[in-house]
Amino acid sequence: MQEWANQLCENRQFGSKMTDSKYFTTTKKGEIFELKAELNSDKKEKKKEAVKKVIASMTVGKDVSALFPDVVNCMQTDNLELKKLVYLYLMNYAKSQPDMAIMAVNTFVKDCEDPNPLIRALAVRTMGCIRVDKITEYLCEPLRKCLKDEDPYVRKTAAVCVAKLHDINAQLVEDQGFLDTLKDLISDSNPMVVANAVAALSEIAESHPNSNLLDLNPQTINKLLTALNECTEWGQIFILDCLANYTPRDDRESQSICERVTPRLSHANSAVVLSAVKVLMKFMEMLPKDLDYYGTLLKKLAPPLVTLLSAEPELQYVALRNINLIVQRRPEIMKHEMKVFFVKYNDPIYVKLEKLDIMIRLASQANIAQVLAELKEYATEVDVDFVRKAVRAIGRCAIKVEQSAERCVSTLLDLIQTKVNYVVQEAIVVIKDIFRKYPNKYESVIATLCENLDSLDEPEARAAMIWIVGEYAERIDNADELLESFLEGFHDESTQVQLQLLTAIVKLFLKKPTETQELVQQVLSLATQDSDNPDLRDRGYIYWRLLSTDPVAAKEVVLAEKPLISEETDLIEPTLLEELICHIGTLASVYHKPPSAFVEGSRGVQHKRLPCSAGSGESVDSPETSSTAGVSDAPPAVIPSQGDLLGDLLNLDLTPTTTGPPPPAVSTGMQLGAMDLLGGGLDSLLGGDLGGNPAIGAGFGAAPAAMPASFGAPGSGGLDDLFDLGSGVGMPMGAYSPPKSVWLQAMKAKGLEISGTFARRAGVIQMEMTLTNKAMSVMTDFAIQFNRNSFGLSPAGPLQVLTPLSPNQSIEVALPLNTSGPVMKMDPLNNLQVAVKNNIDVFYFSCQYPISMLFVEDGKMERQIFLATWKDIPNENESQFQIKDCHLSSDAVSNKLQGSNIFTIAKRTVDGQDMLYLSVKLTNGIWVLAELRIQAGNPNYTISLKCRAPEVSQCVFQSYEAVLKN
Amino acid sequence: MIRQLFILSSKGDPLLFRDFRGETGDDDVVNVFYQKVTALPGDQPPVVMTLRDLHFLHIRQGGLYWVATTSADSSPFTIVEFLNRLAALVKDYCGGLSEKSVQMNFALIYELLDEVLDYGHIQTTSSDMLKNFLQSEAVSSRPFSLFDLSNVGLFGADTQQSKVAPSSAAARPIQASREQGGRSEIFADVVERMSVVVGSNGVLMKADVEGEIRVKCFMPSCSEIRIGLNEELSIGKSQLRGYGAAVRVDRCSFHQGVRLDEFDSHRILRLCPSQGEQTVMQYQLTDDLPTAPPFRLFPTIERDGTGRLILFLKLRCDLPPKSSAVNVCASVPVPKGAVSLSQELSSPDQSAELQSQNRAVVWQIPRLAGGTQLSALFKLDVPGLSSASMLEVGPVGLSFELPKFTATGLQIRFLRLSPVQPAPSQRWVRYVTHSDSYSIRI
Repeated sequence: MQEWANQLCENRQFGSKMTDSKYFTTTKKGEIFELKAELNSDKKEKKKEAVKKVIASMTVGKDVSALFPDVVNCMQTDNLELKKLVYLYLMNYAKSQPDMAIMAVNTFVKDCEDPNPLIRALAVRTMGCIRVDKITEYLCEPLRKCLKDEDPYVRKTAAVCVAKLHDINAQLVEDQGFLDTLKDLISDSNPMVVANAVAALSEIAESHPNSNLLDLNPQTINKLLTALNECTEWGQIFILDCLANYTPRDDRESQSICERVTPRLSHANSAVVLSAVKVLMKFMEMLPKDLDYYGTLLKKLAPPLVTLLSAEPELQYVALRNINLIVQRRPEIMKHEMKVFFVKYNDPIYVKLEKLDIMIRLASQANIAQVLAELKEYATEVDVDFVRKAVRAIGRCAIKVEQSAERCVSTLLDLIQTKVNYVVQEAIVVIKDIFRKYPNKYESVIATLCENLDSLDEPEARAAMIWIVGEYAERIDNADELLESFLEGFHDESTQVQLQLLTAIVKLFLKKPTETQELVQQVLSLATQDSDNPDLRDRGYIYWRLLSTDPVAAKEVVLAEKPLISEETDLIEPTLLEELICHIGTLASVYHKPPSAFVEGSRGVQHKRLPCSAGSGESVDSPETSSTAGVSDAPPAVIPSQGDLLGDLLNLDLTPTTTGPPPPAVSTGMQLGAMDLLGGGLDSLLGGDLGGNPAIGAGFGAAPAAMPASFGAPGSGGLDDLFDLGSGVGMPMGAYSPPKSVWLQAMKAKGLEISGTFARRAGVIQMEMTLTNKAMSVMTDFAIQFNRNSFGLSPAGPLQVLTPLSPNQSIEVALPLNTSGPVMKMDPLNNLQVAVKNNIDVFYFSCQYPISMLFVEDGKMERQIFLATWKDIPNENESQFQIKDCHLSSDAVSNKLQGSNIFTIAKRTVDGQDMLYLSVKLTNGIWVLAELRIQAGNPNYTISLKCRAPEVSQCVFQSYEAVLKN
Repeated sequence: MIRQLFILSSKGDPLLFRDFRGETGDDDVVNVFYQKVTALPGDQPPVVMTLRDLHFLHIRQGGLYWVATTSADSSPFTIVEFLNRLAALVKDYCGGLSEKSVQMNFALIYELLDEVLDYGHIQTTSSDMLKNFLQSEAVSSRPFSLFDLSNVGLFGADTQQSKVAPSSAAARPIQASREQGGRSEIFADVVERMSVVVGSNGVLMKADVEGEIRVKCFMPSCSEIRIGLNEELSIGKSQLRGYGAAVRVDRCSFHQGVRLDEFDSHRILRLCPSQGEQTVMQYQLTDDLPTAPPFRLFPTIERDGTGRLILFLKLRCDLPPKSSAVNVCASVPVPKGAVSLSQELSSPDQSAELQSQNRAVVWQIPRLAGGTQLSALFKLDVPGLSSASMLEVGPVGLSFELPKFTATGLQIRFLRLSPVQPAPSQRWVRYVTHSDSYSIRI
């Protein structure tokens, strides 16, 4: 083959200089030479044998184009066999030797006049296949004659030749008026000619979608239907396919065409049958359903479709794919034929799977017992794929036929007892769907399911099991243990399982909040902080926020009643189905894709639609069909293959909290703020009686202790960046009254705007805020809470907003703070997360406080102690910074710092360089020692900080710098 | 429409290649096809294979690949049906299908293709029409000899002379008869395929029969034949003819050349047969066999103390005593991991083996007479045999041939030629029923 390919290439390169071909210059030169001699022999027999040899070489891929002139010389013969062989050669090589092909034209033209119709037809057929532009000019006259030839064999050949010519030179065909002649041939007396004319016209029409070439009107349709009865089976296919493109004017015409097409259904050729089915399926749309004929037609369609299933497996598969479409459109056709879709043990797997699919679609109350018995048999077969699908099918039956649900469930339980791993897993997946369809009906089986927890190794089955545990957490005593066992390998699970686990634990928490708080916090932090999967993170954040904001709402959302799942699954979308019905029998029906998806270019891509049914038919649905009409009219909700809760979350109205996209800083603030606020929020969830229980209070208190481990880890990934953005909110620095900055924007907080700053006034740290109501309604009931933070800042009293805040009103509030709150290291250190509540909602923001407000008044260290401490602190704890562009004298510096509780212990002057030794004490008792070097004339100061807790150095330096520059 | 058509040997060598549309791409389609078809996994439907916008459809006949390519949204049914017909035509014309016969007759086949397909549109596949156009003569790869009786077929012959027709008798080129004055013969075969499912309780759950009447004609001057079927044959569920046990089929379809004027009254098919083979009538019977299913199985499955699986099978053949089944093969699925098999069979000509890749014990019985019963005892070592793995045993699949027997009871009463042939002519009627899918659940 490779050799052949090479030679094809050479063939193209060399054009007429074929003798150069490597192939012939080497070993085989003798052979070509010999053939040449034989071709020029006088003896007819010898000539014929030689041409045969040439063709044989051509077939196996040898290049024999060098013999072109010699072979063409043999063309003028009265021996038809020889002529045919020569023409075969010509068709193959004419394209590569266009100039020499012209040599043959005369013979062609002459042959077209031959008294023997076989020769006339042969000539016109071959000429059409020689795709050389120059030849087409000579082709027109002979073709015109042949189209009107007296012999139908010549006419039918000429009809196809028009299509050939059109492909080479469309303009020429139109100019020469061949299309009209072709249209006339539709009325030809010979059915073969009609069929070929139809085929040719259809093909030409496909490349010109808008040309009204195949102008189908009742008269032509009538002619086609007449020809249909007489022509060969293949011609019938052309005609039927053409008929399928026609849209009848009314139901009466539709019925009369159907009546004339129906006899084709008993044809032995399955292709004819399927083309007829296509026409009938399409035209049936127009028939009123109350018409007797409609029912008759439905009955007539079943037997031929069943007959198709006796073909070879490959064709059975094609037939089944088509029946699958037909059943979706009109299930009533096959409703009594369930048995033919039972699988045979020696069917190939692809046939088995396809049959199963149809069985489920046909399952109804009438036949469910039979179907179920079959499916149970299948579930013990050898082929794993098939068994899986069979188990799944049992579940589908349960969902589809309510009366059978109980039997299906018990069948599934039987199968679970086999402990065959994949059977168990499949069964659990479908039982999940059954639970959704019939809530609170079959929960008794949960215990059995839980026994198989360990054997589940497929994500889908694990996810299904987790869903079941979460959904029925209140009935499973050890639900928390079960879920916790999954949590251990959280990061190794697939996303599907992770998502399901997250949801299930949240459900569990909402159902049994007392025992599972730790679990929920663990999963939330795993999902939000340790995962790079955005879906998982987002879902985690949503739950987190929901739980912390309004646990009652969370309950409503997460535990909301789920929409019932529909009985039909993987239905083809109705418009696609309609299009595919128009393509019954074709590749499209095998792929279940529209032709545009796999046919090259735009050629032939017209979206076909079923005709609308006649007005009378629509309203008069017979009861039998009305259920199916529902199926095709409104696409039913399909069971989501995973993440059923996603649906629930989508129902959640997020607009109240976030109008527009929240800026990252704010949103992270919210999420992290949720951390400690969980406890507070829970009170409302637990209700009054629980709130009074000290044990539970302790439980909440203990819960946060688990957090720092994960939360304090500096590697919170992308969150750091978000915080950096947050710092842009403002570092109110410098003197004790830094300007206020906006902490919470009105648009993020339903109209509440908060700007503020921190100050240390008379030894008391104060948070000074301006609350502005930019909403249209009055705000009341303000309250504030801080998340745990690095220095234990917390409000020393309630937020004093005594009067309601009316629209457009602002109020100044000073909130005294103490440092006795819970401590957690933040990043950056001086970050503070705040929640503010009012009658409308709870809002979160984060801000950063100047660390200088934590410098206490008694921060002046004794000289000796300073010296000892300085020496005692290891050098690696020393950090050096530059303060640039500062034009203060050392005394002024000293004074300024003193105002901020930064005390000068000593001052030395060495080589014109002032050295200030400074000390600072933070509220939590940390001392920070500093050496500030000021060189006269140099605006850049160097400062070295030494501290036992070196992580504060950076913050402290920033304070120094801020204080000095303001 | 068909773009290219080629015939490949089983090794992938092109025996014949024809491009009908003249728009050959750069792809070496033959190679691409062969690679695709040989790489095809078993669970994929081998119907259509795709290379960009080119779709390959193929069939395998006579050990050859018959491939057509198409680039439009054509009908796979049409193309596959056509390829089957083409293969049948080639078989008719060349007297057999093999790599050799195709190679030897390539000129004839090219000629055939030219008439059968024009620009990828199928023209005709009727050998009657084609014989007007074809010029080449077939070269028979194996000279046909009347004395070649060494390979006696399974079919019994039911003719006046009550001789046995060699199974190879029909394998010869149709043209030979007119050119070489070969024997004028006509074969009418009734071939039925059974699919049966017997439930674990012995109840017949499903029984379908698909049958066809094939006529193979080597009569140069035969204008019409009349085939008489059982007069009591009824079609459809409601119709009942004759007395007593009627022969019934549910559906039937006929070759388009069959005239049915006498069918309704006398169950006579009239047709002018083309040279070569044609399927005259196809019929199906669903769920209602006139007789008991041919085989019943009585299995006993148990675990013995040592953890071995004991299968005791009794196979009973319920055919009439005169008939018998040949090439019976029962395949019993066994649990995964079965390692060894010990067997006790009731006669030496039987054999059994454990095919571990199929997880099945295969029990071969060359001949089983009607009304008799065979038994077999299999002991299997299955490490880790559990009660759940007992469920993996079954259903048993049977394959067999029933010569001289039709499951529906359909018979050919007579086969008449008109005008009466001048030369002595042979008329052969043969019956056979094959298993299509015969499974017995345990």
